[in-house]
Amino acid sequence: MIVAQRKPFAEIAQSVSGFNRVLVAGCGTCVAVCLIGGEKEAGILASQLDMGAQIKGDECTFAVACVERQCDREFLDELAPQVAEHEAVLSLACGAGISFLAERFSDTPVLAGVNTSFIGINDDVGVWGERCRSCRDCLLSLTGGICPQALCPKGMLNGPCGGASEGKCEADPLKDCAWALIWERLENTGRLSNLEPIVAARDHADNLPGAQVHPAYERRYSAHE
Amino acid sequence: MSSFGDALAAGEFVITVELDPPAGPDLAPLIDLASELNGQVDAFVISDNRLASARLSPVLAGQRLSQEAGAEVIVTLTCRDRNRLALTSEMLAAAAAGLDNLLLVSGDFVNLGDQPGAKPVYDLDSVQALVLAGGLNGAARFLLGSGLAPEASPQPPQVMKFNKKLRAGAGFFMTKPLSGLAGLEAFVEAAGPLEAKLIAGVEVTDEAGPEAAATLAKEVKASGLAGGAHLSWPGAPQRLPELLALLQA
Repeated sequence: MIVAQRKPFAEIAQSVSGFNRVLVAGCGTCVAVCLIGGEKEAGILASQLDMGAQIKGDECTFAVACVERQCDREFLDELAPQVAEHEAVLSLACGAGISFLAERFSDTPVLAGVNTSFIGINDDVGVWGERCRSCRDCLLSLTGGICPQALCPKGMLNGPCGGASEGKCEADPLKDCAWALIWERLENTGRLSNLEPIVAARDHADNLPGAQVHPAYERRYSAHE
Repeated sequence: MSSFGDALAAGEFVITVELDPPAGPDLAPLIDLASELNGQVDAFVISDNRLASARLSPVLAGQRLSQEAGAEVIVTLTCRDRNRLALTSEMLAAAAAGLDNLLLVSGDFVNLGDQPGAKPVYDLDSVQALVLAGGLNGAARFLLGSGLAPEASPQPPQVMKFNKKLRAGAGFFMTKPLSGLAGLEAFVEAAGPLEAKLIAGVEVTDEAGPEAAATLAKEVKASGLAGGAHLSWPGAPQRLPELLALLQA
């Protein structure tokens, strides 16, 4: 899932200033699960903005809407009537959702209410952790399912740096060294030989805006080829 | 081969010292210090934005020390600040300047330094940087080294990475500053017969002072665990002559 953090209230209030009718648009999937941008959080933020406006004597109004996924055209279309009635949309979706909403309603200013943090997992109640950098060249089969790109701040592919101490990370001693975890996992499963070959430098040649068409749909979308 | 390489190959116990380029453009004090120490050490290791704090280019500093102090230089290049294009440029610049000794390391993480908001590059890791430099050999004649952390823990993955660096062409290893001999001893035992020379890091600390550092360097030499000692005195490099005098006493 995508994990996000809400932007500081002052930054959000600044971004919506100058608009009299703002639609706060939640997203019902990832950001709802991480308790940042779902329908409930959109409602709370709208109330906060409303109170802030009242205190300042502004005549702004803040309405709330939420769709299943802002990263999907089908769901975005549901917002069209409400977007048409507002001067701006404050989106609480991840960056992909905000972008797609801005693309779908390109005549309306779209503002970001969250900072997208990472692709991660729900580790415990209220706790999320990064697990993937979407690098397009997955090494998890080799590394025991522990990603050195996501969990090592240096992204070391051939083993730990020299800063690891007591299994903790040089950059953040409160966090485990990714390579200590990788070693332990592979040792416990008898796969340390995975680490013998030198892992070559990554190929960043495809580091262009990602786009893909499922093979079953290639004929329909042949323009993409 | 470089005189440093010759000394290593001959099995001499080498002494190297760490010099940080200045955080400004004036290299005169560094050149003066290298001139003073020259003849007492086998090579000067020019650090590269040590502890992730920005300083003058190690290749330029190395070139000036070589030309103006007659110093044998080992140029450090970190993977933290450069992608593979920039690393190649610096390696070629070093070769063009006649600086054939390269120490290729990952580099301290940016949040330890003076610009913690800088983007950490790490396009390559130190193993991959060794492979890159090895690919330039032929046109260049590099003697390649890398870092080693005998006291880092857990140790087994450090040994695994050490072996990868050997296969990638590292001919010498500079260890991080040691707190004693135990970590080095354990590492050498775990790594088995060494095909490259280890140069043990010996740092003067405020707490222990230069006497303790000199004692450790002598213990390293007597132990036979390493092929040299790499001396550093963070914050007071101008006092390195004191340390060398203690070593020779």
